[in-house]
Amino acid sequence: MAQSVERSFTVAGSIDEALAARQQGAAVLAGGTWMMRDPLRGVDLPEAVVTLHRIPALSEVEVDPDHTVIGAAVTHAVLGRALRGLAGFEALVGAAVGAANPGIRRVATVGGNLCTLDFAAADLAPALLVCEAMVEMETFDGPKLIGISDFLRDRPTLLADAILTKVHLRRDLIASAHIRLPLRMAGDYPVAIVSIAVDKDKRFRIAVGSVEAVARRWTALEKALADEPGGFAPNPERAAELAAENNDFHGRDGTEADGWYRRQVLPALVKRGVAALLKTEGQA
Amino acid sequence: MTVTFRLNGEDYRFRDDPMTPLVDILRQEHFLTGTKAVCREGFCGACTVHVDGEAVPSCLKPVGLLHGCEVTTIEGLSSGQEALHPLQAAFEAADAVQCGMCFPGMVMSLSAFMRDNPGACRAEIKSAMVGNICRCTGYERIVDTVVDCLDTHRQTTETAGSMNV
Amino acid sequence: MSELSATVMNLPRRDAQDKLRGRTKYTIDRVRPDMLHAVLLRSTVPAGRIRRLDVSAAHDCPGVRAVATGADAPGLYGIGIADHPLLAIDTIRYHGEPIAVVAAETEAQARAALAAIVLEIEPLAPVFTMAEALQPSARLVHEDWRNYEIITEGGARAGNIAWEAKSSRGDVDAAFARPDVRIVESSFTVGRQSHVPFEPRVAIGSWEDGRAHIQTSTQVPWTVRNVTGRVMQLPPGRVRVTVPPVGGGFGLKFDASIEPITALLARMTGRTVILENSRQEEMATCLCRENAEIRIRSAVTAEGEIVGREAVVLMDCGAYGGEQVFLTTMTAHTLGGNYRVGAMRLVSRAIYTNTPPNGAFRACNGVYNTFALERHTDEICEALGFDTIAYRKKNVLRNGDLGATGQVFEADVLGPMLDRMETLRANTGTSEAKADGRLYGTATTVGTWFVFVGPSAATVNLNADGSATLVTSGVEIGSGTMMQSLPQIVAGQLGLAPDQVIVREADTDAAGLDVGVGGGRTTVSIGAASVAACTEVKEKLLRTAGEMLQTRPEDLLLQGGRVEISGRPGSGATIPAVVAHAQATTGPISGSGAFTAKNTPAMSGCAMGHFIDALDIPVFVVHEAEVAVDPDTGHVEVLAYRVVQDVGRALNPRAIMGQIQGGVVQGLGYALHEEVTITTDGRIAQDNFETYRLPLAPDVIPVTADLYEGAPSMGPLGTKGAGEVPILAVGAAIGCAVARAIGKPVRQLPLTPPRVLRLLHERETQPEFPHIAPGWAANTLG
Repeated sequence: MAQSVERSFTVAGSIDEALAARQQGAAVLAGGTWMMRDPLRGVDLPEAVVTLHRIPALSEVEVDPDHTVIGAAVTHAVLGRALRGLAGFEALVGAAVGAANPGIRRVATVGGNLCTLDFAAADLAPALLVCEAMVEMETFDGPKLIGISDFLRDRPTLLADAILTKVHLRRDLIASAHIRLPLRMAGDYPVAIVSIAVDKDKRFRIAVGSVEAVARRWTALEKALADEPGGFAPNPERAAELAAENNDFHGRDGTEADGWYRRQVLPALVKRGVAALLKTEGQA
Repeated sequence: MTVTFRLNGEDYRFRDDPMTPLVDILRQEHFLTGTKAVCREGFCGACTVHVDGEAVPSCLKPVGLLHGCEVTTIEGLSSGQEALHPLQAAFEAADAVQCGMCFPGMVMSLSAFMRDNPGACRAEIKSAMVGNICRCTGYERIVDTVVDCLDTHRQTTETAGSMNV
Repeated sequence: MSELSATVMNLPRRDAQDKLRGRTKYTIDRVRPDMLHAVLLRSTVPAGRIRRLDVSAAHDCPGVRAVATGADAPGLYGIGIADHPLLAIDTIRYHGEPIAVVAAETEAQARAALAAIVLEIEPLAPVFTMAEALQPSARLVHEDWRNYEIITEGGARAGNIAWEAKSSRGDVDAAFARPDVRIVESSFTVGRQSHVPFEPRVAIGSWEDGRAHIQTSTQVPWTVRNVTGRVMQLPPGRVRVTVPPVGGGFGLKFDASIEPITALLARMTGRTVILENSRQEEMATCLCRENAEIRIRSAVTAEGEIVGREAVVLMDCGAYGGEQVFLTTMTAHTLGGNYRVGAMRLVSRAIYTNTPPNGAFRACNGVYNTFALERHTDEICEALGFDTIAYRKKNVLRNGDLGATGQVFEADVLGPMLDRMETLRANTGTSEAKADGRLYGTATTVGTWFVFVGPSAATVNLNADGSATLVTSGVEIGSGTMMQSLPQIVAGQLGLAPDQVIVREADTDAAGLDVGVGGGRTTVSIGAASVAACTEVKEKLLRTAGEMLQTRPEDLLLQGGRVEISGRPGSGATIPAVVAHAQATTGPISGSGAFTAKNTPAMSGCAMGHFIDALDIPVFVVHEAEVAVDPDTGHVEVLAYRVVQDVGRALNPRAIMGQIQGGVVQGLGYALHEEVTITTDGRIAQDNFETYRLPLAPDVIPVTADLYEGAPSMGPLGTKGAGEVPILAVGAAIGCAVARAIGKPVRQLPLTPPRVLRLLHERETQPEFPHIAPGWAANTLG
């Protein structure tokens, strides 16, 4: 059993309270599914933690006609249920209902998934990238809104003096899809993830997770699709060809798969993603 | 720090490190050893308990997050001489159990799943089992049993429904 | 009711309800507040010399009650050769090797005290691979190998070659020199497999009346007893081992490992001590199914006759010999099985490396040798243009054929089983349509295994309430043998219902010698000993009843809990009445029985360094797989899986079906998902459930199985063990099916998606073994 009886554990009732604890050096404890494994990685648990799960506003998903707000303490399971069936959010729902396993999805939160720096295979990251989500943070100097791409890139510094509180989404997607590739049917972290979406202007947005250390947009492929004569008519095979031609990823080596494999499978995942988009649009 | 929650229907006050995983409290303080700490990383499901009715891994649940919650373990699902949960009875009748270490967690996960998804198909049952590993049985008899249990439940409900008419 | 019809039934398990309610107390659930907790100091280097080990400061840490090192238990143990210390003495041979142990009031105190131990190690250049170990200039993992005590005579040994077993029958050179043969050569390599029992290795030791008592999660209580005696330099009789329900074994617990440490600490402290492996320790020091390298060559005529075959099999035993020493024996019976072969020579070598020691795993050695043999057979078919199923039908072992060691196989078994597979396939249909555009492949493969017989003892006490108590050293590891087949056998013999048979938990103080639960032997060996015990009980019962009923014992029979006069149902007396009469006149009724191998003969001079020269009870399987391979990602989906298994006699068909499903799925893990690799510092890289991928529910399919009864067996009622073999030919069936799907040779397992994609892109390095000499004889110690 853990020994430090002196540990400080703040169950914040408000964002101010949480920020105060953070300012005193407390680490944010989300669902616990990553942090509680620290001792097995040879890392001590933090001396002081603060939790956000009792702040009502951070445990809700607000769905308005053109604006959706997701609290940082919302779990994957709740997120999946809240957005299911909403056109355009298929990728995000796919990420929320496909990540890890059912028990973890009932506990792991949106904030935890986005703020775990060492977790390259986070499902929500590429899904939120194609949503062009805005991340709301509470900093010691007040609230701050930042794009998800910038957040993911700069989060080691950003989170030093801030708490991620909410994620904001517009409703500007027609359809989206989340294609994850675990080595089994499910249950292990995907070795590669492609989220793909098409917006109201028929522009394609594509993001890749788990292949590199941090998820990012595949801008080269997005540009190649946009440059297709007459615009890109969704065609899975053509998308895969363009993905192969514009594959600018440097796959990371890991115990489960090497970098070559992660990079090699991307065109196939793009193909599946475009096929899923066609299917969704066909149903719409 | 003091954390108060209900454990198998009784009030319990915990005074120690709030980052203690729930599974350690169950096993080491209450000798509720039906909850198994197998991988301690949330992959195996052998430590699954119900927190406010939801099946979650107790290895990754710091007790500090449980204040005011209702926790049920496998021992609380059918205690004393109470009849087995229908799923437990069905596993017994089907000769599904082998070494048995995964079954308490399997029962806790699947009993909640059946309650929430009475119309689930075979593929959905299997997806619900992704976080419950069994090294002995090869799963299919477990899945068969859940399918049969849900069918029986549906038939019972339909019969009861037609009688009400 | 015949003895057979009174025995065969789908008896459910008596332990299921407690297991389902979470009430079963496995060893790991028996921690009490008054126990001391032991924690091991393990090596963080793969090879080195201990220059300084000072534990004095640890003694002074809070809560510490004892600290032990190798000096406290200097005896060495092993299988065949005693090469293994309980705690490292002077030399470190693998990353994770235990060096010292601390017992304290709490686990945290024990862990904290580890930091106070002063340890200085001079690193040595590690030998990580068998290729390195076999270099003429290789550093010796065991410098003192010559001085080790030989426990079993007969194996050739030299330097890093821990043990060598050979079999040689007929003139192989002449066969290969024939002008009418094609020579086909194949090389294979396979990785390790981790057992992952849900209950890790754990033991609770106490010191009672001058003797050790160890409660532990083991498959081999007598081995734990004997090894503890050896390392503590005590007569083994001063050690008692009892075994609570075991949460999975699969062979991992077929050897002693950490158990004796608890006895040592209990003697030092006078307290009860628990030692359990954390999951990380369990996986980092798992006595895995060994990685192996196989080169096989065959001389085949245009008609398909295999006139000559030779093979070299290298088995990595890791830092200590362990089970691999014994398992070198198995190559003759697995790689040398399946087919009728003219002349054959096989050599199997256990090689020391500075990696965690390997051990026994369900159908040890057979799983990869069957993969190699079946893939090789498909390569023969491809080279000579044969249909793979027709070829097997023509060439599988038949009545009177010779095995590698010259054993004569009895009866046609594999041939009719292949016919049964055709029927099974016709009934189920095939699943090619499910491939849905992916690459489709199917394969039918065969496998040869055996029941590991050997000594067992049983005592049956008949009680005044009509129940019988069966006392053996058998262990319930989850397979159900102690819950189903044994009470069924005893009940059938004594005319009782199975629930009237009480099965005593294993206790080396109560029951006679048993070599353990493994190799599919419990139903056969303990079953046969139990039948013998029942024979004595029956004889006493009928003699007493004869006196009571004034009838000759041979006119009496036992059924339905009564002793009845033959032909007069309802006559005679109840068993309780007869037992009561016996207790008052001649004393309580009990019987004891014993069993051991019959030692089926091999041909003189054919087997060298073998622990088993010939198989007493061969067991055969036919496995068929259909797979779809995604050419874009390398994922293999198993579309259908069919099994025909030789069971001799199915005592509990439903339980056997459960073993087949479970064993095949473990085999699918081995074939497709479960990968163990060694890091550059000698660790097992996959030491948790994130990286070691066990099959999950969506990865598996229902296995269709047909139980083939009637093949000869010396087991009780003609039975053969059924739990061991379902894993045997899975790697073979999947490997062959994937090779056919992708149109490339498959020479390695597991077939993870990255490996399959590399094969498809021809980026996979195929195995080549420069350390295996071209001439067979150069790979032997002569």
